[in-house]
Amino acid sequence: MAIFEWNDVKIDVDEDGFMEDPAQWDEKVALALASTEGVAELDENHWKMITYLRDYYAKFGIAPMIRKLCKETGFSLKQVYDMFPSGPAKGACKVAGLAKPTGCV
Amino acid sequence: MGKAWDSVAFIPYAEDNLDYLPGTQASFTENSMSKERSHKATKVLERLSKKLNRQVVGSLVACVHCGMCTDSCHYVQTNPDDPTYAPAYKADRLRKIFKKHHDWTGRVIPWWVGAKSVWTDEDLEELKDIAFGKCTNCRRCSINCPMGVDFATFNRMTRGLLVSVGVMPEGVSVVSKDQWEIGNQMGVLKEDYVDTLEWMAEELQGELEDDSDMIPIDKMDAEVVYSINPREAKYDPRTIADAAKIFHFAGENWTMPSEGWDMTNFGLFSGDDDLGGAVAKRLFDKVIELRGKKLVISECGHGYRSTRCEGPNWAGMDIPFEMESSVDTMLRYVKEGRIKVDKSRNKTPVTFHDSCNNARSCGLFEEPRELLNLVCENFTEMYPNRAENYCCTGGGGAMSMSEYTPRRLKSGKVKADQLKATKTEIVVTSCHNCVDGLNDVIRHYKLGMEVTQLVNLVANALVIPAKIIPVSIPDEVLVLAGKKILVVDDEPDILTFFSTVFEDNGATVFTATDGDEAIKLAMAEKPDLVTLDISMPGKDGGKVFEELRTNAETSTVKVCIITGRPELRKLIYDRKVQPPEGYLDKPVDEDTLMLNVRKVLELA
Repeated sequence: MAIFEWNDVKIDVDEDGFMEDPAQWDEKVALALASTEGVAELDENHWKMITYLRDYYAKFGIAPMIRKLCKETGFSLKQVYDMFPSGPAKGACKVAGLAKPTGCV
Repeated sequence: MGKAWDSVAFIPYAEDNLDYLPGTQASFTENSMSKERSHKATKVLERLSKKLNRQVVGSLVACVHCGMCTDSCHYVQTNPDDPTYAPAYKADRLRKIFKKHHDWTGRVIPWWVGAKSVWTDEDLEELKDIAFGKCTNCRRCSINCPMGVDFATFNRMTRGLLVSVGVMPEGVSVVSKDQWEIGNQMGVLKEDYVDTLEWMAEELQGELEDDSDMIPIDKMDAEVVYSINPREAKYDPRTIADAAKIFHFAGENWTMPSEGWDMTNFGLFSGDDDLGGAVAKRLFDKVIELRGKKLVISECGHGYRSTRCEGPNWAGMDIPFEMESSVDTMLRYVKEGRIKVDKSRNKTPVTFHDSCNNARSCGLFEEPRELLNLVCENFTEMYPNRAENYCCTGGGGAMSMSEYTPRRLKSGKVKADQLKATKTEIVVTSCHNCVDGLNDVIRHYKLGMEVTQLVNLVANALVIPAKIIPVSIPDEVLVLAGKKILVVDDEPDILTFFSTVFEDNGATVFTATDGDEAIKLAMAEKPDLVTLDISMPGKDGGKVFEELRTNAETSTVKVCIITGRPELRKLIYDRKVQPPEGYLDKPVDEDTLMLNVRKVLELA
């Protein structure tokens, strides 16, 4: 376990920088985590995606398939990668405060 | 079994305490640790005796501690002051247990060979820290060992021993569970997977303005059954779309299975041969069920090794189909001219990273380079390369073990230096693990490079053939326009061949495979011409011919006999009816066929 600090944000993260305790998440935390994923600002579309990811994770305890994410939010695959250059698994999930996806990622 | 080490009796655990000479320091240390061996430690020792094979024992006894392996390991190079990273040291953690329980040296001179058993769960945790946390099983030390010690092989076995008693990193446990229970390592459900394939197929249809079935699912008798890594379906299906595009333009008869599609195999990482076998079998069984000719494995190093090289052994199966990496498949398509590529579309300088499993373990060195040079303008080698390349840091399942990430990133300095020296902007690799491992290294060391795979580059370089717009050719050019022809033959190949030739020339074609069907169709359709085979099961061509001639409704229909058995000619000409208008011997080529058919239709 490690501590991640950014401005006045201080949270517990795992060794890959994913949150240990999703309850610590708030919008400031999202901004802080976004800074580590090459996302300088979070606009309306980013928030739409983050909200969807958080809802899904709260319901099922796992990250959604990219297919579900695109279908439900209406974003194309390209838009997702434009918004989060490190991709949905490492980028978007991390900013949304999800635990690190399992498997080869 | 006749194994070499069988001659040495297994030394029972109960004798452990008597093993060392009384009064030696070693004996004191060993005995004072614990009186009772833990349940898990006992199970590990029991399993060790079952898992020893010639390869492993050879590696356990052959080490002479010469130190050649030391510098070959990327962990050692980045932790020069920590001897616990040296391959020989790591290997000795299992070796000392082996010596203690299975080797005569451990019985005779235990203090000399450092023979030592495992007693407690803490001992096992220590072993775990080495086997999972200080080695990526990349096998670089193995090929640099003058004694041929394959450390990675028995490190994998050590992992397997630990996994059998539940001692493993949480990530390995979660992924293994998904692979056992859901059938793929990311817990992707069948309907979601199929939905994803359909989605990619639709996107391709839109992009190419083509309604063809872009990703056929569960198609029987396909030449190629394509298997993927679940991360492609779950997080980044762009590689699926790129592969589909390549198969489509290569005109391949291919399919993706709806189940048994995960070619990754955590059994390789966890050392659990049972899981390895179960996962591989799922894949193999599905290809057999679909009667596929070849299983193509998408770009994934451990998937390729597990499926093609290790899987048949783990699963205990004879494989009745071929297997190849998609790198081979794509290279073949380009070399055979099945797809056209334009390398000027990939101008950015690239380098190539050899995956340990593809290159060191399976010998896939030259194929990716050949392909790279065909689809990229500017390829620079990374040094060292091929079998001597360094690990991406993510090998052996390390990407799923977050607890060791800081060590992993520290060891990545070696890779970072290698990458930086190439002065390129893109690193290409044929392994999904390497993609993630390299991305982490690039970010950590701020190299600003991009990671991509060959499938993306090939798809990007693909020259899409100009759309064939159907042109309406004036009727007079089609010499058989408006003619109805009935083709009668019991060989499907002949039916297809004749029909194609006649239809291409504008005729309407009916086909029959036996005599009765032929007569029925002749009555119903009143064709201008019947091409008639003689030798057919049931009513033969001779009888059919006579019936056609004697029936008032069909007596004027022109008939061309086409037979592969000219000796049967008598059967036709002996009949007391008007002889046929044409006669041809098989085999017949397109020109002769058309010439004769025109002669019959236009002159007879």
